[in-house]
Amino acid sequence: MSEHSLQSSHTIGISVTNAVPSAIEQDDLLLVAISKNGDQEAFAQLVQRYQRRVFNLVYRMLQQYEEATEITQETFLAAWQGLPAFRGDARFPTWLYRIAYNCSLKQLELRKRDRALQVALEAEKILEHANNEQRENAELDAHDRQALVQEQLSHLPAKYRIVLILRHLQDMTYEEMAEILTMPIGTIKTHLFRARNLLKERLQSLNRESDMG
Amino acid sequence: MRCKEATQQLQLYLDNRLTIKQVRALEAHLASCNACLAELTILEEVVNDLQTFKVVVEPYDLNAQIMRRVAIAASQRNTPASRFTLWHPSLLEILVAATLATVATIGTILQQSSIRALLPFANGHDRLSLAFLNILHTLMTIDSITLILALWIGGTFLGICITLIFAGSEMRTQWFKAMMERLPVR
Repeated sequence: MSEHSLQSSHTIGISVTNAVPSAIEQDDLLLVAISKNGDQEAFAQLVQRYQRRVFNLVYRMLQQYEEATEITQETFLAAWQGLPAFRGDARFPTWLYRIAYNCSLKQLELRKRDRALQVALEAEKILEHANNEQRENAELDAHDRQALVQEQLSHLPAKYRIVLILRHLQDMTYEEMAEILTMPIGTIKTHLFRARNLLKERLQSLNRESDMG
Repeated sequence: MRCKEATQQLQLYLDNRLTIKQVRALEAHLASCNACLAELTILEEVVNDLQTFKVVVEPYDLNAQIMRRVAIAASQRNTPASRFTLWHPSLLEILVAATLATVATIGTILQQSSIRALLPFANGHDRLSLAFLNILHTLMTIDSITLILALWIGGTFLGICITLIFAGSEMRTQWFKAMMERLPVR
């Protein structure tokens, strides 16, 4: 993936919560109602509104650009097919995120079974390890540190990865996360606590190794 | 406040999930405990690292790709092909249907005496054809009402068989279950 495809989260502002909720929610409901009648133009507007957020969620879960593109498509297709069953109990983006999360989990399961892909990933890891060794003595600047955090994030269990993504990359509240993941808030707190601690411990141990080297 | 309690509250502190009272107690503890303050600093670093993640821009034609798939799904939903969704005959079903059709065709052909005469069998000289002709003769000599009744029963039975063969296994199971429920015996 080229560098130009990356933008700062602050400039794009992907937060769901920072937007004016009532106006957007009402507009969502209207577009959903029209889409339910088979209007593809209305659905295309919903896609346009949420595709970046959904894509980023899926991309952070899967860590592969092409795969994330495919799963984002599947997410919206599943949403289109599931629209008749959407009763509006949850907000549209919440429902959409839930679909995206489930599609990502399904893909991770498939990936586990796909031996050929695993072999390719192993090769990628070896290459990555060699690269890490090359820069072992170099001081970690901000960019390297981000890459390291990103790598460590991808090694966390999916249930911990998703809470970190939703909380820090999508700027969601505990309540929103609980709704998306259909978990009690207590479980969200526990998962977040463990996820951050795991990430912290791994980064600390890597820093120690780097200092010793 | 003890360090254990403070450590447990640090993450909630970062997420602004503590009450004012809890915040004051925690901040008072942090002012006097370097270990907990160091822990908070590390956690803040981790959170900052996560929050400075770049937003990845999706492919420029993602919307078009999605809508293309949506259009295909919509057209599949609207096509009358759904009428034939139950039409998934297996190889066995196709063979049975073909056999029934062949028997019916042969039966029709063999009714023609000129064609029968050309064949090495069913020409009135071998045992099989004699038996066949006897049955045919009996059928021809019975009165027309009985014959029509027999044909009607046979035709209905044949129709049901052909329908069930082409309806697919799911429909066949449902039909069989419904029939069994209506029977007075179990």
